Amino acid sequence: MARAVWGIVAREFVRFLRQRGRLVSSVARPFVWFVFAGAGFRAMFAGPPGLDYPRYMAPGLLGMVVLFGAFLAALSTVTDRDAGVLRMLLVAPVPRGAIALGKVLGATLLGTVQALAVALILLPAARLSVTPGGAVLALAAVVLTSLAAGAVGLVLAATIRSIENFAGVMNFAIFPMLFLCGAFYPVRNLAAPLRALAYLNPLAYGVDLLKHALLAPWSAAGYGGELAVGFDFAALAVFAGLGLAAATPLLAREDGVTRAAFPGERR
Amino acid sequence: MIEALGLGKDFGAVRALDGLDLDVGEAEFFGFLGPNGAGKTTTVHILATLLRPTRGSARIAGHDVVRESLAVRKSIGLVFQEPTLDRDLTVEENLRFAARLWDLPGGTRSAATRIDELLRQFGLSERRDSPVRSLSGGMRRAADIARGVLHRPRVLFLDEPTAGLDPRARRTLWQFIRDLRAASGMTVFLTTHYVEEAEPCDRVAVLDRGHLVAQGTPAELKRAAGAGSLEEVFLARTGRPLAEADAAAAPPGRER
Repeated sequence: MARAVWGIVAREFVRFLRQRGRLVSSVARPFVWFVFAGAGFRAMFAGPPGLDYPRYMAPGLLGMVVLFGAFLAALSTVTDRDAGVLRMLLVAPVPRGAIALGKVLGATLLGTVQALAVALILLPAARLSVTPGGAVLALAAVVLTSLAAGAVGLVLAATIRSIENFAGVMNFAIFPMLFLCGAFYPVRNLAAPLRALAYLNPLAYGVDLLKHALLAPWSAAGYGGELAVGFDFAALAVFAGLGLAAATPLLAREDGVTRAAFPGERR
Repeated sequence: MIEALGLGKDFGAVRALDGLDLDVGEAEFFGFLGPNGAGKTTTVHILATLLRPTRGSARIAGHDVVRESLAVRKSIGLVFQEPTLDRDLTVEENLRFAARLWDLPGGTRSAATRIDELLRQFGLSERRDSPVRSLSGGMRRAADIARGVLHRPRVLFLDEPTAGLDPRARRTLWQFIRDLRAASGMTVFLTTHYVEEAEPCDRVAVLDRGHLVAQGTPAELKRAAGAGSLEEVFLARTGRPLAEADAAAAPPGRER
C-alpha cells in the first residue's frame, strides 16, 4: 500500500515537471501581485516603522502559492476522472483511503515545492530577514497548509462533476479563500460575518502561521499572527483530517466510475 | 472462477440488470454478447467491485465482490471500454505507475523485467518512451491491456476491447489476446456486441435488456435455436436482429 501511495505522489510530481506553463505561472503569479498590488497599496498602507505593504503581503503571497499549488493539484482529480486514470486507480487493489492519501500527499509536495521556490526569491526581494526559528515555523506552516488545502481541494474535486465547473470553483472557492485569509489585510479588521467566514477557511490559519514566522518583529504593533501558533496547527490538522475522511467515500461514487450508471448523461 | 447468483442492479428506477446467473470455469474463454445498453458493462463493473449489486451476489476466485473487494481486485485484471492511461506520461511510465499501484512483488527490478516482457509481447518496445497521447488507437488499447495483465491476474475482463478500432488494429489485438491466453491460462471474460468476436469463445452468454436470454457453447446455442450463426441466435431469442437492437440503444458517447 505504501508503494501505491508513493506511485500516486510520484505521478503527480512527474506531471507537474512536464507541464512547463504550470511551472512558470505558479512561480510568476505571486510576483505579479507583489509588484502591482504592492505598488498600488503601498501608499495607502500605514504600518509600523519598517513594515511597508510589499513586506506585509509576503506571508500572504506564500499562502497564495500554496493555495494555487496544492489546491489546484488536488483539483486535478477531476481531470483524472475525465481522462479515465481514476478508473485505473479504483480498480487497483488499493483501499480508497490510500488513493485519497496519495492525491493529498502529492498536492502537499507540489504546494511545498512551489512555495519554497517562490520564498527563495520573494523573501530577499521584500528584504525580510528570517530567523532560523522563523524559517522552521514557515516550512512547517507551508507543509501543513498544503496538506489542508490539498484535502479540501480533493473534497471539492470529488464533488464536482467536470472541469467545466472550473470558473465556478475560481469564483466561489479560490477567490474567497484568497481574500479571506489575511493575505492582503488583517482578518481582525473584517466585519464579524466575514471574519466568521475567514475562520472557516484553512488558508487563514496557514497565513496566520506564516505571519508568526515572518512578521514577528511587528507582532507587538498588531501586524503579526493573530491566533496562537498551536491553535493554527490544530485547525489545519482538523481540515486535513476531515477533508481526507470526507473525500475517501466520495472518490468511489458509482457515477464517478461508470458511465453505465447514468445512461445518456454526459459527465 | 466467476460465480454470480441472481445478480441485479438498478439505477434509480431503471432496472439495468436482473436475475443474472453465471458460472465461468478456470481458464475458460467466456463471451458476453449483447447490444449496447444490454447491461454488459454494468455486469463487469459489479464483478470488478466498482459497483454494488442491488440484488444477488457474486464471487471471483472464491472471494465475495462486496465483502472482499480488495481480494477480488487483486485477482482480476480489467480493461475498460474507455482508456485509462495517463496521456501525458510515456507508455513505460504508465506501466511503472500501474506496477506500483498493483504492488508488484519482488521490488522494482522484477517490475521492470515484467514491463520489458509485456512491451515486447504487445509490440510496444520501440514506443516505450512515447507519451501515450502520441500512440495510435490500437497501440493505446494494447498498452491498456498490458496494464491490465501486468500483475498476472487469474481473471481478465475485456470490456469491448476492439470498439472503435480499424480492422487491422483489431486483428493485431486479437492475436495479442490469443497469445496471452495460450501463455498464461487465465480466465478471460469478454464483452462484445460483435458476433464474430463471440464465435471463438468456449461459451457464450447472450444478454438483452438486462436479462440473460441464452447461455452455452456457440455450437449448442446455434443447435438449440436452429440457427446457423450467433446473429440468428440473438434474433431467435429476442425477436430482433442484434444490429438493430444496437442502433436502438443509445450508444454511450465514447468519443470526447
